[in-house]
Amino acid sequence: MKRVAVVVVVLFCGARAFAQPAPPATAVPPPEAEPEPINDSDGYTPAVEGAGAPSPLSINGYIDVGFAKAQGDGTSFAPNDQSIPADYGVDTFAPAVNSRGDVASTNSNGRFVNGFLPRSVGIGGNASFLLNTLDVDLKYAPASAPLMVFSRVQFLPRFTGSGDETRVYVEQAFGRLVPFDSQEFALAAGKFDSVFGIEYLDNEANIRTGVTPSLVARYTTGQSIGAKLFYRIQIQPLQSAVSLNVSATNSGNFVESLQPPDASLTGAPVGAGRLGYELNTPGIQVKLGASGLYGPRNDQAYQAAHQKAFGFDARVAVAGVYLNAEYVHVDEGAGGPKTTSLGNFPISSTFNARGGYVQLAYALPLSVGALHKLTVYGRYDRRHAWFEGFTPITVDRFTGGVRIDLWEALILKAEYLDNRELAGAPTVANNVFTSSLVYSW
Amino acid sequence: MRLAQIAGGTLLAAALFATPAVAAPPSADARGWLGEELPLPLAVRTPQDLAVKAAAEKEYLIFNLLAGGKLAWDGGDFSTAATKWEALLKIHPLDPELEKTIRPLASEARSRAAGRPAAEAAPLATPPSTPPTTMPPSSTLVAPSSPVAPANPTVSVSGTVSGGGPLGPGGAVIWLKRANGETPRPAPARGKVISQRGKMFVPHVLVVPVGTRVAFRNDDPIFHNIFSLSKPNEFDTGLYKQGATYTETFRHPGAVQLLCNIHASMFGFVVVVDSPYYAESDASGAFNMKGVPPGEYELQVWHEAAAKPTVEHLTVGAGGVRGLALRVAGDKRAPQFVPDKSGKPRQAHLGY
Repeated sequence: MKRVAVVVVVLFCGARAFAQPAPPATAVPPPEAEPEPINDSDGYTPAVEGAGAPSPLSINGYIDVGFAKAQGDGTSFAPNDQSIPADYGVDTFAPAVNSRGDVASTNSNGRFVNGFLPRSVGIGGNASFLLNTLDVDLKYAPASAPLMVFSRVQFLPRFTGSGDETRVYVEQAFGRLVPFDSQEFALAAGKFDSVFGIEYLDNEANIRTGVTPSLVARYTTGQSIGAKLFYRIQIQPLQSAVSLNVSATNSGNFVESLQPPDASLTGAPVGAGRLGYELNTPGIQVKLGASGLYGPRNDQAYQAAHQKAFGFDARVAVAGVYLNAEYVHVDEGAGGPKTTSLGNFPISSTFNARGGYVQLAYALPLSVGALHKLTVYGRYDRRHAWFEGFTPITVDRFTGGVRIDLWEALILKAEYLDNRELAGAPTVANNVFTSSLVYSW
Repeated sequence: MRLAQIAGGTLLAAALFATPAVAAPPSADARGWLGEELPLPLAVRTPQDLAVKAAAEKEYLIFNLLAGGKLAWDGGDFSTAATKWEALLKIHPLDPELEKTIRPLASEARSRAAGRPAAEAAPLATPPSTPPTTMPPSSTLVAPSSPVAPANPTVSVSGTVSGGGPLGPGGAVIWLKRANGETPRPAPARGKVISQRGKMFVPHVLVVPVGTRVAFRNDDPIFHNIFSLSKPNEFDTGLYKQGATYTETFRHPGAVQLLCNIHASMFGFVVVVDSPYYAESDASGAFNMKGVPPGEYELQVWHEAAAKPTVEHLTVGAGGVRGLALRVAGDKRAPQFVPDKSGKPRQAHLGY
């Protein structure tokens, strides 16, 4: 049987040996290498331009419809509260019912309302279906130039007759240039997102985890016209990065749904910025930031009236758990007569707000039929705000919800908001159930 | 026995020589083991002839199982290798030396056939290096002129893919699985590189067999952090700078979406197939697949613009298949928001 062992040796010493001169009898040939696959491929890369190349123009968007029901009459005014002077800074406690932060109602039953007036969908306390936003995004990014042009236009149909009017809103329209291949450095000019805090990063219905924005989003997530600069440097040994995002714009970051968001009348820009730190290890991602804003008030020509804000933010993501937290401190100084899109007013009192939120979400990736991902989330908001001469109002909110991602284009969200008046205003039943169905294309 | 040694050894060596796999770089047409198909024309006229033939046949069987298993191993068909070597181990009596050599290899082949990653398995070791003192030089054993009819011929499958929506048909990945029986496990490809160049993946789509290691090389003057959330092939390179390379072994079949944690506009694909019969279409949609044994197959086509792969039944005849027309849908749009490596969606227009 020695012959069998010899055959084994010959076979495993490499089949090529049969066709080549026999090796020395004592030599031990190397192990045979694995054969190459029959159908080896070098891969496919589309042409940069021309046939088969990705189009430089992309058109995306979403439609956000919902169903909401607010307790009471949807205003947060207590039914039997006849306070004199019967005025409230409505902004401070009117609850949101949709992704834009619109409230159910602002009907004050004839009472004078001081302060900011939130946009309203005008549904009062009625359970109602809502057509919140029809969004169209256009992006043009030619392969031959380090340039991108982006616009986001939103159609906001409002049918109730008692809320805000139907309108078309150009939320963003800007060009972005990345002048250096070797640097993470970008310049943008036009109308663009805020650089303050983190909530602007997912402030659209098709990207936000939940339905409604936080209680402080109205001070930080507005869009303005101007120029901005982004720079980031990676620190490889630490798996980290430090970034700087600064802007000079014609207004602060108050949102469109919080009237009036009008531009500075002084001609001086509002400066804002955020310094960020990122830790991006495979197991955990941590992002921390500090933001600041300073400039003239939006609503008047008085040079000495300023708005200023600062804030801190944190994001942690680990094993499908996402923690977002933000604190915001806003001060608007007193000024003279103010002019807004709502008209002229004899006085502009100071406004101050301090608030923040902590949101915890857990996303469970699934692949069960159409079910793509299931996310449960909870958020705690708290805000303390006051207008000069009026009682400070402190409110908080517990939000709990679930989000279901179906296929890759459909999102179903439902959440309950437990709104509480902690100080400065009578307790009123103004909790909200709201839901949203978002289809993206 | 001397006669049996000579006859069997000569014929088998001839068969091995006639197999392209042993004389040239392996090709699709060389995967079968011809020895199983060859007749053993030993005349039987006397009881001695019968004894000789019986002995020869036993040795012939041993050699066939041994060599057939080895060629199947080389071809990545671990299931066949395991089957042949396990059958060999059932022959009684079997030379203890041979059994000692083959038993661990059969076990290893069975493990690989069961899906254990090839890269984790021990490499096929060179057996005990007993000098071939009793074996004549191989050159004296071969009989190049022996008329050997090719067995298990393989053919090509070629055609054109159409569709793919605005992206066109380029980059479609076509692969075959046997409709009846087990599809051979493919050998991993070598030297596969995906470059990050100009904030793009080059190539944009790469098809590889399971077990293939792919090197991700940063050819940009900036950092990248390539990752994928495509289970079960998810990975994360971490930050790496220009000129650096990260290697990832793709052990499971499926499409793997490649993303960069720094640059939200970057995306590409590695399509991992568990079949040796695969091809990728060029920009015009043309493809050519080699080394396909005739038979019944399930054909699948993946394309990044198609929400679902195209699945068809394909009969491959002795002459192969030419002009096969396939169509992929263009119903899947590029994602509006690409996730970062924590799974959180990003708005690419922000640039960060």
